[in-house]
Amino acid sequence: MVPDRIEQEVLIDAPVEVVWAIVTEAEHVGAWFSDSAEIDLRPGGEASLTWEEHGTARARVEKVEPPHSFSFRWARPVGAEPRKGNSTLVEFSLSAEGEQTRLRVVESGFPELEGSEDEKAKYAAENTRGWNLELGDLREYVSKQVRESARR
Amino acid sequence: MSRRADEVDELWAAVADPTRRRLLDVLLAHGEATATTLAGELPVTRQAVAKHLAVLDRAGLVEGRRRGREVRYAVRPERLDAATRWMARVATDWDKRLAAIKRLAESTERERPSPKKTRPEGD
Repeated sequence: MVPDRIEQEVLIDAPVEVVWAIVTEAEHVGAWFSDSAEIDLRPGGEASLTWEEHGTARARVEKVEPPHSFSFRWARPVGAEPRKGNSTLVEFSLSAEGEQTRLRVVESGFPELEGSEDEKAKYAAENTRGWNLELGDLREYVSKQVRESARR
Repeated sequence: MSRRADEVDELWAAVADPTRRRLLDVLLAHGEATATTLAGELPVTRQAVAKHLAVLDRAGLVEGRRRGREVRYAVRPERLDAATRWMARVATDWDKRLAAIKRLAESTERERPSPKKTRPEGD
């Protein structure tokens, strides 16, 4: 089955406040996530993630509990207003482990095929072409199946 | 470009609807099923099921095979494979992002004046 969420974590050799700043401040988000970013860091605040190559994805901040919990919902396709059905929820949790910080991320809420949209938005043109070729092939396959079963 | 966008929109619309997602789940559990069987397991009419199946079919998510007088529908595994591959890619993306966060945080931390390492000449 297709997993419906992605969960990952990393142990960082920096205190939780430093990691919090990197994860939530637009200046840094524009370095690790997109090419540039704007974030109104409060629940309900709007955010945007811009990739020079692909355009701007819109997001909405959901939870801001410094320095432990931050979440936002981001929309696909590029430019769309985030709402249920076109967006995924990204949740970060930070916890101190001695002088280090464990950073955990969960991205959830994937409609099974939104990948097609994401690929369009985020991946190289080559991948996009690949996906569309695949779609074309599948279409051909379906109509062939339908024609064949009609003949039976 | 717009044709491509249309196809993508079609897929998006097909899976965004909760009834259709539920329908896909039931179909996966059954292997294949007729619209009548599906209607028996979902809180919707057979007509509504047929309409949803048509949307899923257009999006390439299910296929119908005629067996005598009835049409049996099944999920198209290739599409689920594509979705699985895509999720693997999302995971890889997060690997890269978390690694970037780690790099940024650790280099910030190294540059930050640490209270334990206060220079003696500082007052």
